[in-house]
Amino acid sequence: MSKKMDKVWFAVFTVPLLFVFATVVIIPFLIGIGYSFVSWDGIPANPKVFVGFDNYAKLFQDERFLASSWHTIQFTVLALVSVNLLGLLLSLFVTAKLRTSNAARTLFFMPNLIGGLILGYIWQFIFTDAFKMVGEKTGLHSVFFNWLLDPQFAIYAMVVVFTWQMAGYTMIIYIAGIQGIPDDLIEAAKVDGANLWHRLTRIVFPLLMPAFTICLFLTLSGAFKIFDVNLSLTKGGPNNASEMFAMNIFNEIFGYGHYGLGQAKAIVFFLIVAILTLTQVVITKRREVQM
Amino acid sequence: MRNVKKAFGIVTAAALVAGLAGCGGSNGGNDSNASGSPSASASGSASASASAAPEKFEKISLFQSKVEIAEPLEALAKKYKEETGNEVEVWGSAGDAYATQLQAKLTAGQGPTVFSVATGAEAEKFKSYLYDLSNEPFTASIAPHMALEADGKVVGVPYGVEGFGIVYNKSLVDPKDVSNLDSFTKTLEKLKAEGKNGFSLSQEAYFLIGHLINMPFALQADPQAFIDKLNKGEVKMADTKEFQEFAKFLDAIKANGTNPMEVKYDTQMGDFATGKTAMVHQGNWSYGMLKDYGDLGFDIGMMPFPLAGNTKLSVGVASNWVINAKASPEQIKAASAFLNWLFTSETGKNAIVNEFKFIPALTNIEADDLDPLSKAVFEATKSGQTVTWAFNMFPQGIIVNDLAPAAQEFFLDKNMTGEQFLQKLDAAWAKAAK
Repeated sequence: MSKKMDKVWFAVFTVPLLFVFATVVIIPFLIGIGYSFVSWDGIPANPKVFVGFDNYAKLFQDERFLASSWHTIQFTVLALVSVNLLGLLLSLFVTAKLRTSNAARTLFFMPNLIGGLILGYIWQFIFTDAFKMVGEKTGLHSVFFNWLLDPQFAIYAMVVVFTWQMAGYTMIIYIAGIQGIPDDLIEAAKVDGANLWHRLTRIVFPLLMPAFTICLFLTLSGAFKIFDVNLSLTKGGPNNASEMFAMNIFNEIFGYGHYGLGQAKAIVFFLIVAILTLTQVVITKRREVQM
Repeated sequence: MRNVKKAFGIVTAAALVAGLAGCGGSNGGNDSNASGSPSASASGSASASASAAPEKFEKISLFQSKVEIAEPLEALAKKYKEETGNEVEVWGSAGDAYATQLQAKLTAGQGPTVFSVATGAEAEKFKSYLYDLSNEPFTASIAPHMALEADGKVVGVPYGVEGFGIVYNKSLVDPKDVSNLDSFTKTLEKLKAEGKNGFSLSQEAYFLIGHLINMPFALQADPQAFIDKLNKGEVKMADTKEFQEFAKFLDAIKANGTNPMEVKYDTQMGDFATGKTAMVHQGNWSYGMLKDYGDLGFDIGMMPFPLAGNTKLSVGVASNWVINAKASPEQIKAASAFLNWLFTSETGKNAIVNEFKFIPALTNIEADDLDPLSKAVFEATKSGQTVTWAFNMFPQGIIVNDLAPAAQEFFLDKNMTGEQFLQKLDAAWAKAAK
């Protein structure tokens, strides 16, 4: 009887979720794979022509797509480093038992509460008007100019905004990790004469590996899939120099009306993100240590 | 205790089921009537009360591309409700992203009841969504050749005619000094020496290149034939006389003005209104911006872009009101009633001329109190001093997707010449026309 009730309870809580997950993720994903084999402009009334693997063959000759993948790789590598470095530094800073650490924690986390679209517009103003003004006032024209008009600096600008948004989030995860490290371990190390650097690299970082796994995964997939900041900050410009993967797919589908080709790109995109993040998780998992 | 748990379980399950049913129900409703209004229940109650009062229609939604008329349109919707008791929900305008958003909404079956499409490729693209307006009373008064037609049927009513050219500050520039490439360049150099910005474009795709490039196309003997050849790769812009001169104009603009990539539409018009810029490449719609500055302290006018000695303004129909053919019959009826009110009632006609600042394309609407820019367009239209809007015949989306990025590159790369830019444009065109 109670076994049976367990099953009922299990169903009550999982079936609705499964239903939602299937209808909004799995089924659209499968339909999407289907679309990637047709040539279609996205208007329901117009015909869908089956073209087999043509779309997949085409996308590897699409220079703009290849360029956007290079932008995405640049952006992801830079963002991965800057977000995690800053997040880690911030977390070390706010766990250092300062009087302001609680306030600082809140402040550092706050940008994460603002949506990427809005952040993009705020920073667009900073990079365009504020930077120009600072440049004029200080004469430091090599640093303070309109970053969004320079093909390379437009990508850096996105890294800055993404870091600003995500560093606080990773900070919280790192804080949780740091607080999970028993004080007696650190004390013991101190007694044994380990300096700060040794304590960090030999005790704190190895014990933080689970946090690294999560944070790296979040930033890696987040940076790869970035769209909102891309749209509001640079719109992919200037001259498509900061167009990322997701935006390229969006433009292919809605700008050019190549629905099938865009879907093929999206499938390739999914595979890349899946492979990269899984590899990363496997690698960092292996380095996690148990106390 | 066990009973409490059981009861709790039942309540939870019921709540979940109800939640699911709610989701499913509202989805179904949207699919069937394509209302797209976020409040499916609101439209439901509206239809329920429709039978009580004969003049009461379903609430309809409206989505359109012109940012400039967003505010007056909302005000007009309020007046419509006051006068007739019917509701029109105006969705926020989307500017450059309009066609994208419209497509997404229509494809999802959540399209607006009334929307706007640009004449040309965009109207062609959404053809299957355009309701046949041939039998509607208000289409009878559309000026000759101005109606949007598909397969011989009237499917759209023009917003109005619009025109663009060089909007200039009469105290800084004399049109006689801007009559060909030489005089244009000299005027720019003179203004630059005086510390003024001679000629300003802005970073938005249409204001950066879309409108400007219309002129060399429109000056071809047969623009449509030229574009067809260009699509097939039989001609190149770089080999065409008008484009070669156009490139020289661009060189002059780049050499003597602020970088348009730094300029937004607001800043462009702001600098013009405050006398920092002498000329902007804009249309009659920009008067709405200038009006906000009150008394400018100088007179403004519009003159033709003097490519190859051209003396005509570019005038055309930018956008058309259409009704979503996939909406429910009740919605279509309500939409037709709204458009009829817009084009025949005093309030509606007044709004078109005085609030939207459109130059009417309907013969039953008078326009005697036009602003200086609209007046220039209106007079050019009457006297036939106009060239067509060739960019309406361009492949769909090419200005935003391909020509604008090329133009961005041109204006950002200090070393790029107009000639190299033409080659970029040819390459971009070849790619887009594929």
